[in-house]
Amino acid sequence: MIVSAVLVAYTVVAMSLLPRVLPRGAWSERAPRLAIAVWLAACASAVVSAFLAGVAAAVPGSVVGHGLAGLFQMCAAMLSGGSAFATTGGRLAMTGSLLIASWAACCGLAVLLRARRERRRHALMLRILGRPDDAIGATVVEHDEPVAYCLPGRRGQAVITTGALRSLAPEEVAAVIAHERAHLRGRHHLLLAAVETLVRAFPRLPLFAQARDEVTRLVELLADDVAASRHPRIHIAAALVRLATGRAPAFTLGAGGETAITRVRRMLDPKAPLNLRERLAGVITITALLSGPAAVALVPGISVFLAHHCHRLTMF
Amino acid sequence: MRGLGELESAIMERLWSYRRPVSVRDVLEDLRQEREIAYTTVMTVMDKLFKKGLLRREPAGKAYAYETVASREAYTAQLMRETLASSANQAATLVHFLERLTPEEATALEAALQVYPTKGRQ
Repeated sequence: MIVSAVLVAYTVVAMSLLPRVLPRGAWSERAPRLAIAVWLAACASAVVSAFLAGVAAAVPGSVVGHGLAGLFQMCAAMLSGGSAFATTGGRLAMTGSLLIASWAACCGLAVLLRARRERRRHALMLRILGRPDDAIGATVVEHDEPVAYCLPGRRGQAVITTGALRSLAPEEVAAVIAHERAHLRGRHHLLLAAVETLVRAFPRLPLFAQARDEVTRLVELLADDVAASRHPRIHIAAALVRLATGRAPAFTLGAGGETAITRVRRMLDPKAPLNLRERLAGVITITALLSGPAAVALVPGISVFLAHHCHRLTMF
Repeated sequence: MRGLGELESAIMERLWSYRRPVSVRDVLEDLRQEREIAYTTVMTVMDKLFKKGLLRREPAGKAYAYETVASREAYTAQLMRETLASSANQAATLVHFLERLTPEEATALEAALQVYPTKGRQ
């Protein structure tokens, strides 16, 4: 019960505190890949801890501690409809855990299916309206608005409008396409689907909302970095400015372009990448976030196990 | 699969160029000038395009007369509008460069771009 309470407390604290303490400014902009991993680990940590809280309340430590056989026996009893739980509370806790897990899975499936449906429809329209341009490495759509994006999927493709081709120099076009290809190769849409799932499944929780905003922003920075490994940074920066300024007001999202400014600034004036110590701190954070809840959940099992088996050792 | 996608596009191209309702046979004869193709294939693809809302049809005799629902430009404009609006669902399409800069921000960034090469040479 104590373990369960600790996990619940951790979940609540993580939901409210993590979005405030996790890296947002300079740190994450210098290492977008690591920052994405930290955000995803934080989300996973909160969900897993909530799930394990229920499991820990339902499964007494003594069952786990006496070896796997006891655990399997309990699972079998549960599946055959027998009453495996000592208390009604345990039963309720387990139900809650399973509800959380299955709800998250359902929402994830819904997000993926909806995305796939939209992508198929979009791919059909692109087949009809666009023309593949092998020299550019993208599908070109006849349209005055300067737009560049990518359509992920099995046959992922970068898309660029003739308006964008007109307003960009050829080397800037190459830089933009490299950015889009980086999204496709990195399967960034799956990262976005993951955070989108959490926001849909558990709305109004600051951790998930913030994780979605940050991951959305960070994959852009990451794709910029990948593109910058092959193309001069100035071309990426120039393309960003041209594409951000040439759009009709109808398509604006909010006021100002905070991310666009960050991205241009990063390209023009790159900061040093993280040093070994900072990188290590990031990796340790991720490890702690991922293993923390599981470690707490295992404490009673392990202590019972030790109590059960090790007293014999002490005799010798 | 790729071939079928190409056929969808070829059929839409033809229908946009006619500017009048046509039967499957009209399209078939047109297509046969450059490729071997079966009536049923063309019919299937046109039926699919109808079901997807890209074509509309009216009964004409024993067959249907098909025409496009909107112009190519209208479809493109709609697709781009949907694409830009779908930024909320980035799991489907990743659209970037979405933000619009304020005039001041744009001026500042343009200025930064102008300065950059000089800085690089130093």
